[in-house]
Amino acid sequence: MIVYITKKSNIYFPMANETLPKQFIFNEKLDADYLFSLYADDYEYIEEVFFTTLQHFDQDFDSLKLAYENEILADLRKAIHKIKPTFGFTGLLNTQQECKEFEDKCAAVSSTQDLANEFRQIRNILIEVKCVIESEHIRLKEFNSNPI
Amino acid sequence: MSLSCIIVEDLQVAADYLNRCCEKSGQLNVQGLFANVNDALQYLNTTSVDLLFLDVEMPGATGFDLLDQIAYTPKVILTTSKPEYAYDAFEYNVSDFLKKPFTYQRFLDALKKVSQPVSQTTDTVTETGIDHIFIKSDGKLIRLNNSDILYIESMGDYVKFVTMEKKYVTHNTIKNLEEKVSKLDFMKVHRSYIININKISNIRESGLYINGTEIPISKSHKQDVLKRLNII
Repeated sequence: MIVYITKKSNIYFPMANETLPKQFIFNEKLDADYLFSLYADDYEYIEEVFFTTLQHFDQDFDSLKLAYENEILADLRKAIHKIKPTFGFTGLLNTQQECKEFEDKCAAVSSTQDLANEFRQIRNILIEVKCVIESEHIRLKEFNSNPI
Repeated sequence: MSLSCIIVEDLQVAADYLNRCCEKSGQLNVQGLFANVNDALQYLNTTSVDLLFLDVEMPGATGFDLLDQIAYTPKVILTTSKPEYAYDAFEYNVSDFLKKPFTYQRFLDALKKVSQPVSQTTDTVTETGIDHIFIKSDGKLIRLNNSDILYIESMGDYVKFVTMEKKYVTHNTIKNLEEKVSKLDFMKVHRSYIININKISNIRESGLYINGTEIPISKSHKQDVLKRLNII
């Protein structure tokens, strides 16, 4: 008898004549339950989401860095606002929250010079999460190309 | 039911996700995806749609700028990652507000609000005479003389009738009321306001004044307002 483990409850349900669905184990930095709530088990689409995110990541990150280097606070806030939801779509909820906090700080100060430490932190966070997204994209691609 | 819609969103991954939700619903015909307000406006100037999925912060102009400039009023679902815009969304009478990212179920809930038949909100105002209307407020049918009404203001799914003495809130929409009162001395001057043209005290660049209250006039309605006035 084949058993099926539900994603949410871990209760065992015997499902006659069904094959065990493929499960992808996400990097622990990603909120797998949240990703499931958005995409269910459509791993091909999740791969596409990660691919699209990577396609635009550098441009959005460069806009952020440029705004800081040029000391344009309004552009800095806009840049972090734009990139922020990307991390929700990729299950990186902590990063999304960190972006929100940085965005709030942008709204609270009068100059980019007041954000030197915070900018360094968010820049390092984004560099790190890009590696996570890249690595998950590669793993998803391999997972989806493997029929079993 | 199939509604025509467009998606105005500068974040590609969000636009793709929204497009996917639309396709999955089987209720929407996505006519275009636009990454900025200007491109969307160009399209909307030549083609009308039933529904807009609209981000707020985009390069060059905001989603609210777009709403100020379009000449008609499609249903609008705002999509943003910033809940602080909820108040503005309310002011612009949008159907719903989706905080990115959102689940498919939440998307369907928003779609339900858009799909509610107009008949659900049409029984709160009854045009019973040429000089008065009846509105349902506080569980009663209340007679309002047209000459007593200063203006009508949108409050999301409700509208506020403002008279010299009192304000009455009733479940209705500006869009629905516009059809009912357009034969009377009323006209829509903004997506959130219908005014009694006999009550205008003066008009300035920023808007018109009724009993000391400034009412905004949208660009698309300004010419119509001026035409209706007895300008010598």
